[in-house]
Amino acid sequence: MVLRVENLTKRYNETTALSEVSFEIPDGTFAVVLGESGAGKSTLLRILNGLTEPTAGSVYIDDEEITNSRSDVGMVFQQHNLVEELSAYSNALTGTLNRTGFLRSLLSRQSADEKELALEALETVGLLDEAGQTVSSMSGGQQQRVGIARALVQQPELLLADEPVASLDPSSAETVMAYLRETADKRDLTTLASLHQVNIAREFGEQFIGLRQGRVVFTGSREDLTPDVLEEIYGHIETKELREETKQEEVIEVSSEETTGIGAKL
Amino acid sequence: MSADSDSVIGRFLKRVIGGDKTDSSVKQRHTELKRKRLLRRLSQFALLGSVGILLIGSLIMTGFWREEWIQYWPEFTEALTQYFPPKLYFGFLPAVDVGRYYQFWVEAGLVGEAGITLAIALAGTIMGAPLALLFGILGNERVTPFPINFIFRGVMSIIRSIPSLVWALIYVPLGGISPVTATLAIGTDTIGELGRLLTDELEEIDDGPIEGISSTGADKPQVITFGMITQIVRPFIAWSMFILENNVRSAVGLGIIGAGGLGVTLSIEQQTFKFTNMMATILFIVLLVLSVEMVSQRTRSYLRGNDDEQLSLYDRIVGLPERLSKSLF
Repeated sequence: MVLRVENLTKRYNETTALSEVSFEIPDGTFAVVLGESGAGKSTLLRILNGLTEPTAGSVYIDDEEITNSRSDVGMVFQQHNLVEELSAYSNALTGTLNRTGFLRSLLSRQSADEKELALEALETVGLLDEAGQTVSSMSGGQQQRVGIARALVQQPELLLADEPVASLDPSSAETVMAYLRETADKRDLTTLASLHQVNIAREFGEQFIGLRQGRVVFTGSREDLTPDVLEEIYGHIETKELREETKQEEVIEVSSEETTGIGAKL
Repeated sequence: MSADSDSVIGRFLKRVIGGDKTDSSVKQRHTELKRKRLLRRLSQFALLGSVGILLIGSLIMTGFWREEWIQYWPEFTEALTQYFPPKLYFGFLPAVDVGRYYQFWVEAGLVGEAGITLAIALAGTIMGAPLALLFGILGNERVTPFPINFIFRGVMSIIRSIPSLVWALIYVPLGGISPVTATLAIGTDTIGELGRLLTDELEEIDDGPIEGISSTGADKPQVITFGMITQIVRPFIAWSMFILENNVRSAVGLGIIGAGGLGVTLSIEQQTFKFTNMMATILFIVLLVLSVEMVSQRTRSYLRGNDDEQLSLYDRIVGLPERLSKSLF
């Protein structure tokens, strides 16, 4: 499924959150939106999901304009947005709500296929054994994996993830991103994730869209993501540290003297 | 002369309008503080005086001062000995004759009466709770747009402003003076009380799950059910238990006007001046209410993750009369 965004603009009174954003993501690509806080990443994803109405512009899925098709678009949120009182399984099952009638969903009378689908999704994110566990008793990383499972149960054409690992510790973040990427690859899902950690984005992303103050300042692949590009996305001050990081990645051996030097600077 | 007048008039003037600058500002501050203190004292006296006048006025209106005080005092002490019949245990230890209470409990079949009181409270609570949930949800702005939601809030406010005792009077033509009327009254009261508590709970729920459920493409009833109601299930059960506690006490009160259960027994024994039996009934009421309170509070503290305030046995017993009167009105 190809996602095409054309001249998307969103204004809140005086503020412009997005300004004529256009890009295209090829079928089955794992794309990442980069940008500092307030760059418009969340607004973009919320518009794609239908939670927010754009002021102007259009979104096309396979050349077909979509206006309000949330059910085709799975969404993973930073704060998980799960029903914490329910089990992981019940939460995954809420992914079927768009194709289940009110009464049937109220009485948990989904078809056997739908129920299997929910369990399969939990298996995909490595939580089949925890299916019966209440979400509130799970760790942040596990909760986010339930969030991914819920989105998968929707059987979406497009998967969106709004800062999926921003509130997780580094190791959980790595796990969640690995599951997200693996799932997307397995199901050949076009995915768009917003991330602010460049190292994670670089590790998991295939295509990158850089947003700065609501405008697209960069689109390209991992190789194109040079320190100069990062500077353009994040501005000068923030990029200083990123440059250091990039340098450290490139130079395998860092002498102890230099390390002390950096440490002393910090 | 001029020096003299300088010293006399000058000093006077200094006192009135202040002398040199430092002196004047300190003194001025001092006078200001004095005046403030005086004003505070006066207002305190005025407040105390008006409370006193209110008390005296109210006592006059209630006919508090009367000669019967002296006349009736011996009767009251006589009643007290009947409330708490004395008995010498082991021939020398004076204490309350508990056996007589127990005898009445068995003779009058108070367990059965307590069953009726409990049944009134349970039926009223169980019938009122779903409606309270419905009204509470419909009163929420996220579910029903403003100002239509205020229709539901208004209905709950009106219900709350009428005490359950008065609801019972309203229902008498429908159910007669019977447990049915008491049940209807308690059910109605539950809608107002529990509904309001649930409206408050709904104001405080997280937006996250609502947004999460919306993002799956769910329709509005589904978003309300899975995104909102799921968040208030625990508070709903906890508050229902709390309301049940209140309703058991209300049911006793309604019994006094003839609506059945322990209240009826209480009222009959009082009217026939069998004060020992009356006290025996009261003690049974205490037992019933305390048991329901204990079950309710255990459930609530379990549901709330054990952080709910726990009443000690002492508070339970000492605070009971107050809670009885509170839940009746």
